[in-house]
Amino acid sequence: MTSVSKEKFVIPIGPQHPALKEPAHFEFTVDGETVTAASVRFGYVHRGIEKGAENRNWTQAMYLLERICGICSHAHSTVYALGVEKLAGVPAPPRAQGIRQILLELERLHSHMLWVGVAAHEAGFETLFMYSWRDRETVMDILESFSGNRVNYSANLLGGVKYDLGPAQADSIRRGLDFLEERLHYYMKIVTTDESFQRRTRGVGTMTTNEAETLGAIGPVARASNVARDLRVDAPYLLYDQFPVTIVLASEGDLQARFVVRIQELFESVRMIRNLLSGLPEGELTARFPRKIPAGETIARIEAPRGGLFYFIKSDGGENPARVKVRTPSLRNFMSVLVGSVGHQLADVPMILSGIDPCFSCNDRMITVRRRA
Amino acid sequence: MTETLLAQGLQLVEGKFVSQTAPESNRIDLVIEPAQLTACAGALAAAHWGYLSAITGLDHGMESGKLEALYHFCNRAAVITLRVPLPRENPVVPSVCGLIPSATLFERELMEMFGVVCEGTPDSRRLFLPDDWPDGKYPLRKDFLVPAPAPEPEA
Repeated sequence: MTSVSKEKFVIPIGPQHPALKEPAHFEFTVDGETVTAASVRFGYVHRGIEKGAENRNWTQAMYLLERICGICSHAHSTVYALGVEKLAGVPAPPRAQGIRQILLELERLHSHMLWVGVAAHEAGFETLFMYSWRDRETVMDILESFSGNRVNYSANLLGGVKYDLGPAQADSIRRGLDFLEERLHYYMKIVTTDESFQRRTRGVGTMTTNEAETLGAIGPVARASNVARDLRVDAPYLLYDQFPVTIVLASEGDLQARFVVRIQELFESVRMIRNLLSGLPEGELTARFPRKIPAGETIARIEAPRGGLFYFIKSDGGENPARVKVRTPSLRNFMSVLVGSVGHQLADVPMILSGIDPCFSCNDRMITVRRRA
Repeated sequence: MTETLLAQGLQLVEGKFVSQTAPESNRIDLVIEPAQLTACAGALAAAHWGYLSAITGLDHGMESGKLEALYHFCNRAAVITLRVPLPRENPVVPSVCGLIPSATLFERELMEMFGVVCEGTPDSRRLFLPDDWPDGKYPLRKDFLVPAPAPEPEA
C-alpha cells in the first residue's frame, strides 16, 4: 500500500460564480467534503473607479461612483454626497434629505427582493424566485416613474436632489407598498413554514454572535447572528433620527435567519416610507454648492442594503477629490464568509456564499480597464 | 454614547501612539509608528472595540515622499483611525492578520494598489489587479497616470 498523501486538495470555483451570475474565483481547500481553507480572487469586473474619481471634478465623481453598483447605486451617490457636503459645510435641505431617504429604502426593497429570488433559486425553489422577481417590478416601476430610470436614478446633486415628490407620486408609491406588503407576508410564510425550503436553510452556514462580531460581519448577515449593527440606528444620517427604523435581529445565525431578517427589515422599510411620505418636510430641494471644496478629510457611512458602506473622502482644496476610498459591505462580508466557511460541507458553499448577498461590481472597482489593442 | 466609546477606545491604546487629533466629533485619529501597529490594533481587537472597517491607503505626493496607511476601526457611530506614516521608498507595515484574520483582503488590496509591504501577511497574491499587471506599478499612487484609452477598433 502507498502511504496517505499529505497534499492539499484544492477545488477551484469560478470565475463563473456558483451562486450568482457574476465573476469571482474561489479556491476551497478540502479534506473529503469538509472545507479546511478558502481564498478568493476578484478583479474580473474591475473598472478603476477610485482612481477615476481623482481625475474628475467633485460633481462628475458622484456620477461615476453611482455606477459602482447597479443595485445600490443611490446608496453610493448618497454616501458620497453626504461626505462632500460635510467637507463643504453645506448640508442638503430637509426635503431633499427626506427624498433621498425614501429612495434609499425603496432601493433596499428591490435589493432584498432580488436576493430572495436568487437565494430561492439556489435552494431549488424556482417558483419563489419567479414570484419575488415579478413582485420586485413594482418597486422598479415606482423608481422609473420617479426618475426615469430603473437603476442609476441620478437623483442626487451635491447639496440636494433633482426630483421632487408630488402628491400623485406619493399615492402611487403607497399603492405599490400596499401590494408589496401583502407579498412580503407570503414570502415570510414560505421561508418559515415550507419544509423543503427549510431543509436547505436551517442550520446551514451558521455564524454565532461571537464569530460574527470578531469576523466583522455587517448588515443583515450580522443582524441574523444577533449583532446589533445598523448605521440607520447607530449613527443616524438624513432624517433617520426623526423617521427611525427599528433594528431587526435574529439569534439563530443560519441562512434561514438571514431570510427572516431581510424580509422583516422590508416591513420596517415599508412602514418608514409611509411615515416619511406623510411627514416629508416642505422647502427647497437644493442648496447652493461651491465648485471647490475646502481641504480636509471626512468619513461618511450609511447602511446600504448589504450593510455599512464606508467612504473616506479627502480634499486638498481643489475642484477634484484628492482621494475617495470605497469599502463596500460585500468586501467586509466576504472576509467573514471565507473564514466562516471553514469546517462546512462543500455542498453548502453556494448557499453560504449567496447568503451574504455578495455584489461583485461593488468589490471590483479600482483599476483602469485596458482595452485590447 | 459616542464620546464614551471613543474614551474607552483611547484608554485601550494609551501610551501606544505618537499623537492624536479629533478631526470630527465622532472620530479620533491616532498617528502611530509602524512598530506600534500590532500593539494598537491588537488592543482594540482583543477588547472587541468595534471592528476593522477598512484600510485606506493615501499617497501624499512625490514631493512629500510620504504614503500613509489608515486603519479605520468603527464602533457604532465612533471611528478610531490608526494613521501609519510611511516613506514612499520601501514602505513596510507589520501584518495585522495574526490579530484580525479577516484583514487579509484589505492587506492584499493595500499591497497591490500602493506597494506597501504587509510583513507576515498570510496571502500576498493579487486580489483585484490582472495577472499580467507589471510588477512595481501601483495604480493608486499619485505618480501612476491613467493611460489614455486605446482608439476604438474599426468596425
